Amino acid sequence: MKPQTLKTALTPLFIALALASGAAHADKLDDIKKAGVLRVAAFDGNPPFGYVDATSKKIVGLDIDYANELGKKLGVKVEIVPTNPANRIPLLTSNKVDLVFANFTITEDRAKVIDFSIPYIASGQQFLAKKGLLKSADDVKKVRVGTDKGTTMETTLREKYPDTKVVLYDDTPLGLAALRNGNIQALSQDGTKLTAILATLPDKDKYEIPPFAISEEYEGVGVPKGETRLVNYLNDWLRELEKNGTAQQIYDKWFGQQSAQPLPRLFKIGDTKLSQK
Amino acid sequence: MSLHFFAGPWLAPKHLLWMWQGFLTTLWLSLLVAFFATLLGVVLASARASTVQPLRQAATLYTSLFRNTPLLVQLLFWYFGLPSLFPDGTMDWLNGDHVFHLLGPLSLRWPSFEFLSAWCGLVCYSTAYIGEEIRSGLRGVPAGQALAGAAIGMTRLQVLRHIVLPQAIRLILPSLLGQYMNIIKNTSLTMGIGLAELSYASRQVESETFLAFQAFGVATVLYIAAIALLEALGQAHLRARRVRQGRA
Amino acid sequence: MQLAVIVDNLPYLLWGNYPEGPLGGAALTVLLSAGSAILSALLGLALGVLLAIGQGSWHRLLVVVIGFLRAIPVLMLIFWTYFLLPIAFGIDVPGVLSVMLALSLVSGAYLAHAVAAGISGISAGQWQAGLSLGLPRWQVLHHIILPQALQIMLPSFVNQWVTLVKDSSLAYIVGVGELSFVAAQVNSRLMVYPAEVFLLVGLLYFLMCSGLEQFALWVGRHFSADRRAAQRQVPQATVSLTASQA
Repeated sequence: MKPQTLKTALTPLFIALALASGAAHADKLDDIKKAGVLRVAAFDGNPPFGYVDATSKKIVGLDIDYANELGKKLGVKVEIVPTNPANRIPLLTSNKVDLVFANFTITEDRAKVIDFSIPYIASGQQFLAKKGLLKSADDVKKVRVGTDKGTTMETTLREKYPDTKVVLYDDTPLGLAALRNGNIQALSQDGTKLTAILATLPDKDKYEIPPFAISEEYEGVGVPKGETRLVNYLNDWLRELEKNGTAQQIYDKWFGQQSAQPLPRLFKIGDTKLSQK
Repeated sequence: MSLHFFAGPWLAPKHLLWMWQGFLTTLWLSLLVAFFATLLGVVLASARASTVQPLRQAATLYTSLFRNTPLLVQLLFWYFGLPSLFPDGTMDWLNGDHVFHLLGPLSLRWPSFEFLSAWCGLVCYSTAYIGEEIRSGLRGVPAGQALAGAAIGMTRLQVLRHIVLPQAIRLILPSLLGQYMNIIKNTSLTMGIGLAELSYASRQVESETFLAFQAFGVATVLYIAAIALLEALGQAHLRARRVRQGRA
Repeated sequence: MQLAVIVDNLPYLLWGNYPEGPLGGAALTVLLSAGSAILSALLGLALGVLLAIGQGSWHRLLVVVIGFLRAIPVLMLIFWTYFLLPIAFGIDVPGVLSVMLALSLVSGAYLAHAVAAGISGISAGQWQAGLSLGLPRWQVLHHIILPQALQIMLPSFVNQWVTLVKDSSLAYIVGVGELSFVAAQVNSRLMVYPAEVFLLVGLLYFLMCSGLEQFALWVGRHFSADRRAAQRQVPQATVSLTASQA
């Protein structure tokens, strides 16, 4: 085909593609029900929210349990897509997943690009370090801190400790390995996550989580922007879970007295703030 | 939805600065890697051409090992694997802030462990490739040249230095340039071990501003600029050489 | 160094959760690289032919596009195809396919140069002979030039496959469950054996790539110029033999 005719043949195609991508699409809630499968992004290396179980080699965790409950409610299969923190929003915006259940902190900046449900769990940003190294929030200034790329921890550290050396890793387990190797002296993450991590360490007596927190984190379900019907559905479903006790059950399974990392429940679905201990 | 990402605002100066700093780290790392990998590549190539069999076999094994494993796995091993094998205390020293005072006001700061392991990993990997290029360049020099040198009583080392290497360099230079371009591109993998180079910075900017198109776009443009610069240098050198040789 | 730990996790590293889950680990690496190898071979062939015999402004555009694909780090291209292409065109592409696309594009660009070089390497006499027989350019290419050029280039195609096996490790960054990704998962879970895990994974890759490298050498020997020359001699010998017997 001569170049001229090729150009005239392809131009309408390009225009059509460009227009089609901006065209209105069907509601996400209906899409999920029609497809029969709910694709959820969850962590695969962050106990107890999402991690690979040693024996079954499947991804399990608190976030997975919530996702499975939703799948039951919708009557669809749940497909877990493993992710690291930085990929959560890109996966949502590029339609590779329908929802994100991955310890996703609600922030104003993120809310401009995606939507959130009401929070279903809350915590504070804390540090994991060798025993005796950090006694107060000020001590953090003197050490090398590591955290995950694409998390609120990164932003908060930069705001509160602009002169401290912060190293960013792709995921929490890598930061943990760096901590154990001595590449960083403190790992900053969600307090609940750190408690769980500390419990899994083979040499946990050498480490501690100092009791101070430098922020409050409210985590919700990540939803693509503009899906109001889906957000309302999720909010109603979450409140229902709290009312019929499922939320407490799930929490107890991972953080209750019998679990490896007992933590008192300071936040119930529907609360607006962390209750004081 | 798609238009939001194409027509979004431009990046703030703060974020552009992050990316620029990342770019400088990329360039500095590439320079250091290229320098050492070339030196070691010459050593490796000589070892592979050596008459001492164990040396030759060791060199062949090295080349095979580092060319047939992914760079990412090598870097992960250097940064996460190796320190677990060190005795206690080594890591504290390696991560410490050492300043080496040279002459007067000049002093060298010890680089971060991220930079160190990135440099180590990249040098080991690139040496294997550069060694191969140098080896084929050395083989491209006619055997008669080396024999002539030996005939007038030069030692092997002198033959290499004064006769073979200068001729080989002319053959090697284009492919060497290609390998340097590969080094620049390969530095992007070091984002996985925490080195704040260009890809790392673009990811950082993207997760803070959500302007994926702009962040990745700027990073891509900078990489291509660096590669294009090397390509232009190569072309200029080629033209200059042709002029010197009296060819059009 | 603990070996028991490695043996426990070997099945997961080799094929992921299959059959209870999607295929992963080394098996996915093989599939991913094989798929990319085929795609990039086709792409490289097509672009290489266009590069060798094309002219005009489309040809210049092709040179620029191929140059771009060879200058961009593969990691960046994976970010583009995985996250941005779906947003730009509204098409939903599963992870494995978008990584395959990125790898094939870069690989195809390199192969295009090799193919173009191979085609230019065929002596002009072949072209002239074909054209003088009245064959159109496409037919000369298809029946005379390409068969000869491809035999020379076959080792490069296989070597590109080796590179693809290594580049598939980058799929780890976007969460595709190939060998490097499951290795990182296992390492996160075990925590205290990073050296063992990464050495094992390095060994697995080494075995895959060395195997392919040997295959490339075999292909090179099988299709070498000497062998082809020897094959061409044989029919003449039989002809003269039968002629003398007749």
